[in-house]
Amino acid sequence: MRNIELLRLQLNHLVTQARNDLYILATMNDSPYKNQILQRLWETISSIEFLIEYLASLASLSSTQPTMPIPTDLVNEQIQPVTPSPDQPLPDYEYRIFTTQELATYDGKNGRPAFVAVNNLVYDVTNDSAWAAATHFGLEAGKDYTNEFASCHQGQLAILAALPVVGRLA
Amino acid sequence: MVLPPDSLTNASVAARLTNAVNEKLTNNLIQKQNLVYLELNGCSGNIISLLNGENPDFAYALNSMVNFRYSNSLMVAEGTEAIEQMMNVLDEDFILAVEGAVALKNNGLYNVIGSYQGKPLTGLQAVSMLGEKATHILAVGACATHGGVSAAKPNPSESVGIQQVHPQRKVIKLPGCPVNPRWFLGTLAHLLLYGEPQTDHLDRPLMFYSTLIHDRCPRRPFFDQGIFAEKLGDPTCLFKLGCRGPVTRTDCPTKQWNGHVNWPIGNDTPCIGCSQFGFPDAMAPFISYDTTRVVKDE
Ligand code: HEM
Ligand code: SF4
Repeated sequence: MRNIELLRLQLNHLVTQARNDLYILATMNDSPYKNQILQRLWETISSIEFLIEYLASLASLSSTQPTMPIPTDLVNEQIQPVTPSPDQPLPDYEYRIFTTQELATYDGKNGRPAFVAVNNLVYDVTNDSAWAAATHFGLEAGKDYTNEFASCHQGQLAILAALPVVGRLA
Repeated sequence: MVLPPDSLTNASVAARLTNAVNEKLTNNLIQKQNLVYLELNGCSGNIISLLNGENPDFAYALNSMVNFRYSNSLMVAEGTEAIEQMMNVLDEDFILAVEGAVALKNNGLYNVIGSYQGKPLTGLQAVSMLGEKATHILAVGACATHGGVSAAKPNPSESVGIQQVHPQRKVIKLPGCPVNPRWFLGTLAHLLLYGEPQTDHLDRPLMFYSTLIHDRCPRRPFFDQGIFAEKLGDPTCLFKLGCRGPVTRTDCPTKQWNGHVNWPIGNDTPCIGCSQFGFPDAMAPFISYDTTRVVKDE
């Protein structure tokens, strides 16, 4: 029951947030922040929708299975995309050193993960939305794109900061 | 944009718009302007798409919005007579819309659109001449905005977008292959009613090109949960097949095509990024089946 109470609190918080954004939008004149606020509103409503669905599924389950555990990450704003696991379990990437040849095998094909290297760090782009089918503006995963990144995304370090690091290039 | 507490019903939105236009019309604040619609190196797909427009439709645009002074495909005059009509506009004010790329090879001879004073008139000559005098320049569709299909590798005609011919001028860019009639007619209407629309750093009107498809896609919940389509026709997220919705900015998910009938993702096929600069080469491959499962030749 306590968990349901938490969900209720979260929903209330989201509804307050949405009302507040609506109020800001209704009173503000044209402003560059408008799109950001609309985006936040959209995300808030998506979260509300998700929690409602979740509560509904809890309600229908509770008759058969009264003590369903609630995932601890439920109240996080964003649900992270699930990485489809390749056939073999992957080694611990943190300290992994990739040779160029090894990197080339992570091309995102046939269920393999998609990795790219920039400035000697190897990043996982398997589930990065901009790298659909492990390709991005004519680039294929599995290679070092230090120069390409510098020429296309100069100064956009936030892009790299958001990608999971899986190792270094030898 | 209208937001609460103003009424948001379709009827009240329509009323607001019509009242605003009527008011300007009665006060003589809106005038019909001349439009020259030049077709260069391309497939004429944008003008075909334009004929599909609704609210306003093409007939309304023709009768009430602009004096359509020149169009390679649609005008009645032909040959020298047609080219003369183009030359006559040069002494007046006009908006220039260009579809198709400019072929640069051999001084433009890979794209000849007519003949003037006994000599072939190239697309390059026409767009240089008209672009210098026009009050506004609209690049309509992928080829005119950045070269598009005409400039795809190996680009035998050395095609480029309009901006390269007029580096100093503001060219409003409407990428898309083809352009949605709403994007063209909407931009045209904005020019007539309010002047130049707000554009982004790539000169695309914000009102049509500001939002990523991926951020308004009805299949986004599937992406967020990692549920991906494995073949065309699957009703889930098309990311693993190579969907370019996450790098393409248009209003397709909400306003759709063919009079709000459908759009690619609604029909279970991935977005191919036709409105992204560098299309088609930069958006290739359009579809991949070898990401999610093992294919035979592996
Ligand atoms: C050929 C060079 C490249 C070009 C032309 C290019 C182009 C672009 C463009 C136009 C976008 C933004 C789409 C939009 O929001 O409208 C984008 C986003 C992105 N690019 Fe690239 N890119 C290149 C190389 C790379 C490389 C080497 C990486 C490797 C990490 C990369 C990672 C990303 C990521 C993660 C995003 C999403 C950014 C976000 O969500 O803000 N790109 N790219
Ligand atoms: S179908 Fe394409 S645009 Fe829609 S959520 Fe999936 S990746 Fe994004």
